[in-house]
Amino acid sequence: MRVKLTLALSDRPGVLLKALEQIAVNGGNIISIIHRRDRITSGYVPVSINVEFPDSTSLERAKKGIETSGIPVMEAETLEKAICTILLIGGVKIEELFRRVHELGSRVAEISMTGGLTSPCIKAVIETPSERLNTILKSLEKLAEEQGALLITEG
Amino acid sequence: MLRCIIVGYGFLGKRLARLLASGAIGDIKLVGVASSKGYIYKEYGLMPGDLPDDLRFLSILKPSPASELIDKRITDLLVELTPTNIRDGEPGLTHIRLALEQGIDVVTANKGPIALAYEELMGLAEKSGAMLLHEATVGGGIPLISLKNRCLAADELLSIKGILNGTTNYILSRMHFEEMTLELALREAQMLGIAERDPTLDLEGVDTALKLVILANSLMNAGKRLSDVKIMGITRITSEAIAAAKGSGMTIKLIGIADEEGLRVAPKLVRLNDPICVHGTLNAVSFNFRILGRLTIIGEGAGESTVSALLNDIYEVVKARSRSNRI
Repeated sequence: MRVKLTLALSDRPGVLLKALEQIAVNGGNIISIIHRRDRITSGYVPVSINVEFPDSTSLERAKKGIETSGIPVMEAETLEKAICTILLIGGVKIEELFRRVHELGSRVAEISMTGGLTSPCIKAVIETPSERLNTILKSLEKLAEEQGALLITEG
Repeated sequence: MLRCIIVGYGFLGKRLARLLASGAIGDIKLVGVASSKGYIYKEYGLMPGDLPDDLRFLSILKPSPASELIDKRITDLLVELTPTNIRDGEPGLTHIRLALEQGIDVVTANKGPIALAYEELMGLAEKSGAMLLHEATVGGGIPLISLKNRCLAADELLSIKGILNGTTNYILSRMHFEEMTLELALREAQMLGIAERDPTLDLEGVDTALKLVILANSLMNAGKRLSDVKIMGITRITSEAIAAAKGSGMTIKLIGIADEEGLRVAPKLVRLNDPICVHGTLNAVSFNFRILGRLTIIGEGAGESTVSALLNDIYEVVKARSRSNRI
């Protein structure tokens, strides 16, 4: 899995090396490193590192190791997206669908509704970080249950 | 010669009885056939002419329960083909128990006993040294159970996913291609004899769930019951939903899934180019093996093809017993 780690490095020699060591020992393969010297605040330089980790456990171990070395991890964003199509037969409140998708850091890439009020069917394409796909689908399943609709996912 | 009896004289029973009486498998002698009205028995073997559509008018019909035939002294192999009963598996369960306890080999297409009491029946078979083969319970003539147990026994089966019910697949296919409503497609399926007069078990996903339990227990040692399966049928699928799926290069299929998360049956969006996306009354099952990876097998899941599965299981019994010199 590809991840963008944003670290707050103190502007001293050798600090970046400590972070890179933690990534390496946990199997991470570094793709790129970007120093944001233009965004130095209170002596900290934000550094974005794109890394390919073998799995989410390795990522979590690396994050823990970096933080134990005294380097704050500001953000760990998964760069791999999952795209899935869903159908909601019976219809649900569309604003509630958007809210649940957004609150999980994902987005509704496409949405359409057919069948009018008598036989409503919503089709939506959801774009989400891969590791959140199951959580999103569970949340939408609950939404469908609450509103008497039937959720159909890709199988 | 192995002495064989058939209990259950519906479509499968009649077809199989006539084939065996005509000598379709050497070393098998069909000595008895039982229906709900009684049984016929001939020690030296029944001939095709002894097997009319309705046994009631035969002078040799004995109006007694089939259990009288299931006796080690007169039979070596029971083919159990009574109708599936999902509540308690009866009367098939009693017939199979009775046979296995005496060491009589059993071949069956009856889903009820296998789905409800698989572990108990396999335990009985092991204890008495009898064989219990049930390829015909799932996927008609598609060799699902023998494929794993004979050809891929050393690999680990991680998951099963598939279309296991021809009736619902026919209905969903007609909705997809002809833009029919579910009600209309169901009526057409009933007129063609594809759907039963009471299609509840098919439409509500229970038939798929039964087959999934059988596959999971016999191929993955899952130890599951029907009550462990999360089931959602196709009764709420609308033409609008099918059209919406079609617009994205997909369709809706009733899918059974067994994996590390458990067993479930639900309508799913399936891409039209997915190997399991088969239409009409076809079944398709996709296995995921640890080493081999994905393997998909497609075929007719009911009717005449089930006779092929029964014949092959009977042939396996004959082969095994000839090796152990019991013929």
